[in-house]
Amino acid sequence: MSTADETMQAIPHVAKQQRARVLLGMALGDKVFALATQVAAYLVLLVLAGIILSLIVGAWPAMKAFGFEFLITRRWAPQLEPEPVLGALAPIYGTLVSSFIAMLIAVPFGLGIAIFLTELCPHRLRKPVRLAIELLAGIPSIIYGMWGFFVLGPFLANYIEPSLVAAFANIPVLNSIFSGEMVSNLSLFNASLILAIMILPFITAIAVDVFSTVPPVLKEAAYGIGCTTWEVVNNVVLPFTRVGVVGGVMLALGRALGETMAVTFIIGNSFKISGSIFAPSTTISAAIASEFAESSGLHQSALILLGLLLFVLTFFVLATARFMLMRLEKRAGA
Amino acid sequence: MLEKITVKDLKFYYGANLALKGINIPLYANKVTAFIGPSGCGKSTLLRVLNRMYDLYPGQHAEGQILFDGRNILEPGEDLNLLRSRIGMVFQKPTPFPMTIYDNIAFGLKLYENLSKSELDGRVEDALKRAALWTEVKDKLGANGLSLSGGQQQRLCIARTVAIKPEVILFDEPCSALDPISTAKIEELIDELKHEYTIAIVTHNMQQAARVSEHTAFMYLGELVEFDETSKIFTSPRDQRTQDYITGRFG
Repeated sequence: MSTADETMQAIPHVAKQQRARVLLGMALGDKVFALATQVAAYLVLLVLAGIILSLIVGAWPAMKAFGFEFLITRRWAPQLEPEPVLGALAPIYGTLVSSFIAMLIAVPFGLGIAIFLTELCPHRLRKPVRLAIELLAGIPSIIYGMWGFFVLGPFLANYIEPSLVAAFANIPVLNSIFSGEMVSNLSLFNASLILAIMILPFITAIAVDVFSTVPPVLKEAAYGIGCTTWEVVNNVVLPFTRVGVVGGVMLALGRALGETMAVTFIIGNSFKISGSIFAPSTTISAAIASEFAESSGLHQSALILLGLLLFVLTFFVLATARFMLMRLEKRAGA
Repeated sequence: MLEKITVKDLKFYYGANLALKGINIPLYANKVTAFIGPSGCGKSTLLRVLNRMYDLYPGQHAEGQILFDGRNILEPGEDLNLLRSRIGMVFQKPTPFPMTIYDNIAFGLKLYENLSKSELDGRVEDALKRAALWTEVKDKLGANGLSLSGGQQQRLCIARTVAIKPEVILFDEPCSALDPISTAKIEELIDELKHEYTIAIVTHNMQQAARVSEHTAFMYLGELVEFDETSKIFTSPRDQRTQDYITGRFG
C-alpha cells in the first residue's frame, strides 16, 4: 500500500472524531434548549389556568350570593342597603348588541375592501392601500375613544341621529330602535361605530389573506367561461374561502366583545337597558373598567364574575374561529 | 379550408419582455391544431392571447391582429366576457368550481340563457354525455366537483366548456396531470369534439400531437418555426430545429 492511500484514510478518520466530539457537546445543548422551550410553552398554559382559577375564586362570593339570577337581573345597584342588587343583564346586553352592530357594519365593509384589494385595485395601489388599512389596527384604542368622545359623538348626536329618528318615526319596531328620547353624545350607537372601525382592519387583513389562497387558475377558469369579476367573486372566490372568511369574522368578533378603553369612553356607562341604540349603555368590559377601582366586597366579586363571563364568551368565539381557520388550512394543504 | 381564427404578426409582451415575436398562423374550422415546442417557447402564451386571458394581468399586452371570423379581437372595444363564451379554454390542471357537479355545468349555462329546470337538466346531461362523463356521475350530480378523480375532473371541465356552446376550444396541456387511461379518454373526446368545434391544443407529448391533430405548429423561443399538416411535420419537417425537436435531440 502506498502512503498516499493511508493519508487519504487517516484524515477523514481524525476529522470524524472531531466531529463526533462536537456532536456530543451539541447533544447536551440540544437537550437543554428543548427543555427550555418546553417549559416556556407549558408556562403559558399554566398562566392561563391560573387566570381562570383566580377569576373563579374572585367571582365565587358573587356566584354564591346571586346564582343564576345574576345573568337575568337587569338591576345594578351596588350601593343599595342592606344588600346590593347586582345583575349582569345590562352589560351582557350592551356587549352583545354593540358587537352585533359593529359586525353588521364592519363585515360588509371589510369584505368589500378585501375584494377590492385582491380583485379590482390596480396593482400599484394594492400595497399602499392595504398597508394604510392595516395601520388602523395600530392606533391605540384610547385614541379611538377620544375621537369618538370629542368628534364622532357630537357629530352623530347633532346630525345623523336626528335624521335617522325622523326617518324611522312612523315605522313600528324600528322607531323604538331608532328612538329619539334619550339621544346623547355617549351612546351604544357611537360605541358600535368606533368598534366597527377598530375591527375593520382585522376583517380586511384576514379576508385578503384567504382570498389570496384561491388558485389563480380557478379564477381564470371562471373568467374563461365568460364570467364578470362580480360573478367570479360571488361564485368562486367566496364559496372557496367561506370557512376562512367566517373564521376571520369570528376573530374580529372576539376583539369587539373584549374591547375596553374606547368603549368605556363613549358608551356612557349606563346600566339601563334601552331599546334605542342612541341611548347610553354599558358593556361588560366598560363596566369593569369604570367601577373596579372604587369597588369592594360583593360589588368587586360581581365585577370579577362579569370578567369571567366575558372570558368564557370570547374564549368560545375565538376557539370557533381557530377551528374554522384550521379546517381551511387543512383543505389548502390537501 | 375555412380559417376560423387567423393570427397576423402577433407580438406579445410580458412587461418589456417580448414573448411572441411576430406569429402568423391560421386555425382551421373543425380541425385540431397542435402546438408543440420546448417549455417557455410561447405556445401556452399564444393560447392565452387567443381568449385574451392575459387581460387579467397588468403589464401584459399584445400587438398585431387576431381575426376571429374576420373580426380583430385585439381591438380595445372587444367584449371579453362574450369573447370567452365563444372561445372556451381547458387548463392544464383540472379546475372544477367549488360547487356540485351539476352546478359546475349549470352555472355557466345560467350566465347566458334563461332556462327552465327541465331544460337545464337536459343541457347538463347533454354536456356531460359529450364529455363522456355522464355514466360515471349520473347518480351523484349533487356531489362536490372536487370529489371526482383527476381525469373525471378534467372531463367535467370539458363538459363545462362545451355546455356554453363555444365555437373554439383551447386545450392547454389538458392531459399533463392525468394517467394514461384518462389521457386516452380525453384524446378520444377531442377527436369527437372537432366535428363541432375548432380546437387548439398545446402539448408536450409528441405522440399526442400526432394522434389528435390535423395540423401541427412547432414553436421555439417565441417564434413559429414551422406550421404544416401533422403528418408532414412528423415525417418530413423542413426546418432542422423541428427535426431535432421531434427526434428528441433537444427540448
